[in-house]
Amino acid sequence: MSAIPMLDRKFSSIDFYSIGTRYCSGVSKFLIGILILFSLWWLSVFLITLDPDNDLFLDFGLEAALLAIPDLWSDGTIPEGMITSGYRLGMGLLLSILIGVPVGIVMGRVAWFKKLFNVPFQFFRMVSPLSWEPIAVIVFLQWDDAIIFLIAIASVWPIIFATAAGLEKVDPNWFKVARNLGASKLHMLTRIILPAIAFDVITGIRLALGVAWIVLIPAEFLGVTSGFGFAIQDARESMLYENLMAMILVIGSVGYVLDGICVIFIKKFAWKKA
Amino acid sequence: MMSDSSQPFGTMLAGFFKNPAVSKLLWPLGGLGIILLLWGVFGYFISENPATKSFSTFGLIPTLEAFPILIEEGKIQSAALVSSYRLFSGLGIAILIGLPIGIMVGQLKLFRELSNSPFQLLRMVSPLAWMPLAVFVFSEWDASIIFLIAMASVWPIIFSTAAGLAKVDPAWFKVAKNLGASSTQMVTRIIIPAITFDILGGVRLALGVAWIVLVPAEYLGVTSGLGYAIEDARETLSYNHLTAMVVTIGVIGYALDSLLVILIKKFSWHKGGEF
Repeated sequence: MSAIPMLDRKFSSIDFYSIGTRYCSGVSKFLIGILILFSLWWLSVFLITLDPDNDLFLDFGLEAALLAIPDLWSDGTIPEGMITSGYRLGMGLLLSILIGVPVGIVMGRVAWFKKLFNVPFQFFRMVSPLSWEPIAVIVFLQWDDAIIFLIAIASVWPIIFATAAGLEKVDPNWFKVARNLGASKLHMLTRIILPAIAFDVITGIRLALGVAWIVLIPAEFLGVTSGFGFAIQDARESMLYENLMAMILVIGSVGYVLDGICVIFIKKFAWKKA
Repeated sequence: MMSDSSQPFGTMLAGFFKNPAVSKLLWPLGGLGIILLLWGVFGYFISENPATKSFSTFGLIPTLEAFPILIEEGKIQSAALVSSYRLFSGLGIAILIGLPIGIMVGQLKLFRELSNSPFQLLRMVSPLAWMPLAVFVFSEWDASIIFLIAMASVWPIIFSTAAGLAKVDPAWFKVAKNLGASSTQMVTRIIIPAITFDILGGVRLALGVAWIVLVPAEYLGVTSGLGYAIEDARETLSYNHLTAMVVTIGVIGYALDSLLVILIKKFSWHKGGEF
């Protein structure tokens, strides 16, 4: 990041640069960023609603959304949504990790398996996950299970490919050394493979989370009466647009926190840069 | 005579399979064959079991039979055409917006630091959550779908462009400046060629995301496109049309993804000889 200070000076005003670096700690940068976003949000709704014909847009404003959050919290929409959507997301991701990591390890270690299934897996990855929905609804009796299936089938591919790619980067000599030192297959897995690929697996999980988060909301549009997706659909049908904007804010914040947790773990396991 | 000719034929056959181009094609075909075989067996068991007989059209054979019908009716072609229009419009907007913002994130330290939290927050808003807002703002469904696709796919382009710039050797800018390059030349001669690889990587990620968003976006409101074709097949209970459309979506998605992989390989100077 600091590799291009010369450019910062060339493209931006030097004063702002020095003010920025001197007085902005990580937290205040975060807060200023959010503040700018909220100001732009407020400003755009303000400008749009200057024309009285656009008064309907007032419901989309910042104040309306911030005022709606306590109501949505106390009537249970947000806490219950966190639990039900969190359960579906967690189960789906867990399933895809339980399937994706072993399959990824096989793909990274067994040449013929990769040769056979790389193309079919890439093909399956590019089947848009929601197009499985009608099939999932028929196969699974419960909507919850169908949603978990959709999340799992969307998020298993990044985990498989990241695990396989991580394993391919592992120095083959490590396996040789371990074998010469008398490591069993189990030792090989727990002492070499898993620590070596932890970083890539978690990077894959982060990608998987991003995909699962995209799939979760439309999957909850249909059938269920709980979760973040339902809350969005409900706000739309009842035309409570302040609730809609509040839920968008909540979904973004929860996603941000989950993504941030993944980033912390990625940094923790990044032995390559140590 | 027989044994004489079988020997060269055997080696010829072995040579044929060892040909890298042939084996590169045969392995994936074998993998696809295994998948299709499993599907066929699965379909057979469904149609044999009285409890699941009504779902027998999910099988491989009925699906393959659906393709000529869907193609003759023009359903696949028109759905693919309409969906690609939405997809490419959305991706095009995402590139037009994401590229300059990504360059700014990469070049301007203050912009990068202050935009980080809002961008991450917006990125983690599940794209379909914007759907009611899009429908409210845009009077046409087409425009809403394009907005949703652009909203979903702009983030990978921004972040890949910025990450690509961060990797560029600062000495290049110094050299270019000393040689008298203008700001425009800096962009067209140094920045763009240096980060084309990363931009294409971002476009590939963006395509993956856009492809995920496209289908559910077409479930609502519109009566055309691949998502609508799935929904339509479901409502008319023609399961073989449903599975045929799922396969079609996979094939088109795979083709687009492969196209980007080819482009990425073409522009990857990182792995080229001189580096």
